[in-house]
Amino acid sequence: MADLTKEEFWRWREYHRVMPKKWSKADIITAGVDVGSVGSKAAIMVNGEAYAWGITRTGSNSPESAKKALDYALQDTGLTVGDLKYIVGTGYGRVNVPMANKAITEIACHAKGANYIWGPRVRTVLDVGGQDIKAIKIDETGRVVSFLMNDKCAAGTGRGMEVFADLLQIPIEDIGDISLKVEKEPDPVSCTCVAFAKTEAMGLLRKGWSKEKVLAAYTRAMAVRMANLINRVGYEPELVVTGGQSKNIGIVSRIEVILGVKTLPMPRWREDGLDPMVAGALGAALLGKALYEKAQKA
Amino acid sequence: MKETTVERKYLPEMQQKEMDELRNTVKVASEKIIADNIARMKKADPHRPDAMKYFDDIANLFGKRQQEIEAEKAKGKKVIGYMCLFAPTELITAADAIPVRVNSGWYDTSKLGDRVVPVEVCPVIRSTIGAKMIQLSPFLEQSDALISVLTCDGMTKLSEILSDQKTIWGMNVPRVKDSTHSLRFWSDEIKQMKTQIETFTGNKIDRKKLKESIEVSHRATKVFRRLQELRKGNPVIMGRDAMLVNQAYSWDDKVRWTENAEKLCNELEARAAKKDWVVSPDIPRVMVTGTPMFWPDNWKLPTLVEEGNPQGIIVADEQCSGERILNDPIGVDEWSMDDMLNAISERYLMASTCPCFTSKDGNEDRINWLITKIKDWNIQGVIYYVIRGCMLYAMEYSRVKKALDKINVPVYYLDTEYTREDVGQMKTRVEAFLEMLNARVDF
Repeated sequence: MADLTKEEFWRWREYHRVMPKKWSKADIITAGVDVGSVGSKAAIMVNGEAYAWGITRTGSNSPESAKKALDYALQDTGLTVGDLKYIVGTGYGRVNVPMANKAITEIACHAKGANYIWGPRVRTVLDVGGQDIKAIKIDETGRVVSFLMNDKCAAGTGRGMEVFADLLQIPIEDIGDISLKVEKEPDPVSCTCVAFAKTEAMGLLRKGWSKEKVLAAYTRAMAVRMANLINRVGYEPELVVTGGQSKNIGIVSRIEVILGVKTLPMPRWREDGLDPMVAGALGAALLGKALYEKAQKA
Repeated sequence: MKETTVERKYLPEMQQKEMDELRNTVKVASEKIIADNIARMKKADPHRPDAMKYFDDIANLFGKRQQEIEAEKAKGKKVIGYMCLFAPTELITAADAIPVRVNSGWYDTSKLGDRVVPVEVCPVIRSTIGAKMIQLSPFLEQSDALISVLTCDGMTKLSEILSDQKTIWGMNVPRVKDSTHSLRFWSDEIKQMKTQIETFTGNKIDRKKLKESIEVSHRATKVFRRLQELRKGNPVIMGRDAMLVNQAYSWDDKVRWTENAEKLCNELEARAAKKDWVVSPDIPRVMVTGTPMFWPDNWKLPTLVEEGNPQGIIVADEQCSGERILNDPIGVDEWSMDDMLNAISERYLMASTCPCFTSKDGNEDRINWLITKIKDWNIQGVIYYVIRGCMLYAMEYSRVKKALDKINVPVYYLDTEYTREDVGQMKTRVEAFLEMLNARVDF
């Protein structure tokens, strides 16, 4: 029988944040709701400045996940949905965000969000989500210039990491650090296919490899795949990583080594900084502000 | 139908019961897809031209056209199928036989094809094999012989596989276009095909009949070009409607197709005069190039573009399932038998932009086609469509990308398979591309 109390190692922790900031009814308050395959993120912006956000898990029902994420972001802000001037839905479930005024793809939203978080120097964005990876080239205003996205195959996406977290009983948030605890970087695993990942890992563990070494080999393989995608879209500095895997230091540092470049530093999201995992929702809220203003003018 | 009874080299023996069950399942699903595609196309244009009704009818692969051909066959006419556009259909009609294209657009049958060839093989090939295994495709079944032009690797081996059950006439197409003896060699192939068709049908292709056939093609090309011309300006027809009209030529009666396409163009011209645009003239104008998209299942890309959020419209393509079918007229000077045959040879070989060709400039003709279309049809973005396994198109992408980068036109490489499973992912990719095109003009 399944152990229902078992810790779910593969899951990200849900949390929400409210920035120390005041708002009034006269402000343009907009929201972005990013319903991904694993996490649903919502962000609230006041006059185009990040104010609050919430990260929740996506359930089986997209509209409910969207509502849950938005409610979570609104928590402790004193705001209600009625105060929001414009809501943009994005992510895989963007067509199922009932309260949204408009749906925009996560590609445009991550581009805009990365521009907001790191500023106009960003030219290349790697967004690693739960079931897809995207390499996006942007201009100084955060507009998409070109992009590449994996197809329905989930190889090299966050899903693979979840499989490992579960198998090795390591919380997903610690995987990156642990994967770096190897004296010598092992060869990457030959196959990043999620379906075979478990089998391959079991084989390596049976061979006597440590958890750290197995993670290093798999993380390396994922990083190679991501670096290829960046090279194919055409790397241009500065590079940033968004999405759930941006928090995986094992992935990010390996991409830097493979490409021989540095990514812009991660904001201190645990303390007072913005969280790159909500880049899509932030971008959506910003685009929402632009759309609201355009509609007002018309 | 009489099938050749040689020992099968490739195709597995199937129980009649399994074959019938599979055929019925796929056929029922396919009829639903055809109806659904057409319903969505109707919905996309509230003032859809009346002339489209005719093409909706012809689009039912299991309907009117199948019955018509069946009746003609009963009267003794031969049906000659073909896979690639290089098959000289004028020779077929001149011998009083019916030409039909038989490439399969069914997703479901590609899985059956997996029993014969590996999944890495192009899905068009696997799907055609699968369709033959369960006798699904009306036109493939009705074909008394198949002209197989050996273009890509897939087509070459497909002809071998189908030879288990069909009479196959291979045509060896030279892949270096501009070598001095290529055209001569191809001309010989064409002449040989003429004899082959004459012997098979028992009908002599004389000067008068061939001239008539070529003139039918000329009229078709003329109206075909008129239709594409109408897509140059503000949109008066949805891309999907135009694409269906273009493709229907491959299995329809040529004369009747031309008449109905003329009716359509008349309506569209009236519409343009009234400035009754089918969609806002501000939405992104997209061109599609790459792997052919065969009706009915493989309609997902045009559907995603034209039902997208934001919406786009397809105003041109460079595909052998689309505008390549009829774009180029047969240039006859003297109407002697020799001159006509030479003109046919030249038209089919030299005008083609198929990536199976190369020349001293590589496939420069294709680049020129794309750039001309982009400029004259005012195209804002190109979707480079590749079905995995379609090596030649996949390999030419880098060159096309470079050429289009130079003229600052975005091109997006969209790879997919014969399946509906990836529609969600495709939607994100297509919509992000359309958003990108929008952002270039307005943010």
